[in-house]
Amino acid sequence: MKNGLKLFLGVFATLALSWVGLLLTAHQQIGRLSQFKDPVDETLYPQPLSGLAVQGSMVYQDLGCVSCHTQQVRREGFGADLGRKWGQRGSYARDYIRDEVVLIGQSRLGPDLRNAGNLELHPYADADYFYRLLYAPQSVAPGTNMPAHAFLFEVHALAGRQPSTHAIKVPGRFGPGPGYEVVPTNRAHSLVAYLQSLKDSYDYPIERSRNAAAEKPKEGGH
Amino acid sequence: MNSPDQPVRTEQMEIDASAKWPGLALFGSALFWLLLGGTLQLVAAIQLHTPAFLADCAWFTYGRIAPAAQNALVYGWGINAALGFGLWLMARLSATTLRHGGWLLVAINFWNMGVTLGVLGILGGYSTSFELLEMPRFVPLILLVSYAMMGVWAVTTFSIRNTENVFASQWYLFGAAFWFPWLYAIAQLMLLKAPVRGVLQPVVNAWFVHGLYGLWFVPVALAAVYYFLPKILGKPIANYYLAPLAFWWLVIGTALAGGSRLIGAPVPVWIPALGTVANFLLVVPVVIIGLNIFGTLSGRYSALAGSVTLRFILLSALAFIFASVLNLAFSFRDFVEIAQFTLLSELRDWVVLYACFSAAMFGAAYFILPRLTAGAWRFPALVKMHLGATLVGGALLTVALGVGGWQQGHLLNTSGVAFGEITQAMTFWFTLRTAGFAVLLFGHLAFVINFVGLLCPLGACGKKAPADLGQGSSAEGHA
Repeated sequence: MKNGLKLFLGVFATLALSWVGLLLTAHQQIGRLSQFKDPVDETLYPQPLSGLAVQGSMVYQDLGCVSCHTQQVRREGFGADLGRKWGQRGSYARDYIRDEVVLIGQSRLGPDLRNAGNLELHPYADADYFYRLLYAPQSVAPGTNMPAHAFLFEVHALAGRQPSTHAIKVPGRFGPGPGYEVVPTNRAHSLVAYLQSLKDSYDYPIERSRNAAAEKPKEGGH
Repeated sequence: MNSPDQPVRTEQMEIDASAKWPGLALFGSALFWLLLGGTLQLVAAIQLHTPAFLADCAWFTYGRIAPAAQNALVYGWGINAALGFGLWLMARLSATTLRHGGWLLVAINFWNMGVTLGVLGILGGYSTSFELLEMPRFVPLILLVSYAMMGVWAVTTFSIRNTENVFASQWYLFGAAFWFPWLYAIAQLMLLKAPVRGVLQPVVNAWFVHGLYGLWFVPVALAAVYYFLPKILGKPIANYYLAPLAFWWLVIGTALAGGSRLIGAPVPVWIPALGTVANFLLVVPVVIIGLNIFGTLSGRYSALAGSVTLRFILLSALAFIFASVLNLAFSFRDFVEIAQFTLLSELRDWVVLYACFSAAMFGAAYFILPRLTAGAWRFPALVKMHLGATLVGGALLTVALGVGGWQQGHLLNTSGVAFGEITQAMTFWFTLRTAGFAVLLFGHLAFVINFVGLLCPLGACGKKAPADLGQGSSAEGHA
């Protein structure tokens, strides 16, 4: 190889090929995926997030939760995601079109969160549970190495004041002690609203039938 | 190799002199980020087994400090070091001086300012959370403009070359110089400026991450390997006629392999399938490059004793093979089912960034820096310490991430084991991982002290021959 121009064209073509072949083609295929209207209850799925939950998703981004948590449920027969109650089914591409920023993650130092707010799977996971998990992870998840996010809370002295209605209940040795209360900040409120919004409970007929067909004969049903 | 005639040597000294200040600025800032990134990485590693460590401050929570460390290492250390080495080598191989280095210094300043803002932005809570694109939204423009001002030197230096032949290292450098800004600009555009919808975002992100490792760090490392092996051994690359084939095959395959990071993800199955096929096809160029490297080395392993550059380069070459094997393993469904999302997937990227790329840059630095400063390494003991720390730290990390990741994957796939128990079982491997990073950081410290010693020539030590003994200036020629 001596010709600089040929080298440049080759270098250009290499990346152009992968951009067109991978990104553009994928965009062509699923870039316009839309909500699905359930014929029975006439509702569009996936349902959009509430405003508070959208704010919470920004807190999720700024704290880098994705460093340890995935948001993708692997289907039956590939890992034990369903056995761990991380979902009722594998995730579909359509599940994600409600998210402005899609963070499916690449590390499971912590559990998958795609269905963290799904009370059918985790009946205990109410708002209080998430507040305690964020304030003192060990208090609800023994053995965890999740860092405490105490900076999302304010600790107030109770002396001579009306207790806050938002104060969370922290079990004895994890709390700040008697005479103090732990109150979530707005950031904690929105983050918990986001975590509670995480559930893919609706099963889309198109995807379900396609996946069922794909699992029978061989891989590659698309 | 050319005969060691005097004009060649004079010309090389002129080139070295022209690259002195840009080269020192790039390596100097690279080393700053290497220390800072390594320190942040160590803090994050400690937090995995001691979660209370620095947890009270939002700036140092694991989710911010871990990506901040990775960004400091990739954009601070990685790009600076690659350019410091790449621009020098491009000038040497093109037999022309680096012109107008003053402008280059301006661009280097802006680049480092951008990285500083980016890392602070991540720690301060402006992270975008996209892997390796976490820097806040206003930073990429600074980075792209300043990169353009630096990368253009590689291209212009190449285009005014005074040589007939274009050597393998030049293809890799030339390609990398273009691929990085394209990958980066496209990823920024498709993820942050005009975001694509739904799972296309992870597809773009995977494409970018795979491209950054495979089309920037690997090519720069290979450029170093292809250059220093024949240079130091004084013999041509074995089976060199196969090298162009390997180059094109490797880069086209790598460019298409990004989807292999998404096996089992909620994306159309052809995306991971294409990546997997590309990874299988990559076996051929890796074998050819292996033949090039180890064919050249065969029978000459005794030369390793005399050259610290050669030892780092050999480490880099071995890591390249290892990284390719890991990449291939990550194309097998059964392997991925266990290894995905564990420390093993961290190992795959760490081997490329550290064992392959960084080792090559260390080897290059030990060769280049004394020539830029016309000085000598003052503390040979620190050189040995650095090499030793790299080997020991690298081995510790490989075991911690490899064995630990495998165990983690098995536990994750056993739904009877509670998540807290997995974390407890992993504590030993997390601790070993911390030890690995600590040893590596110790090595970096030794290197930096030596670098400072090189810059401040005090006393009479400056007269000594370069620590890279065994190949005097007479063995130099255009490869």
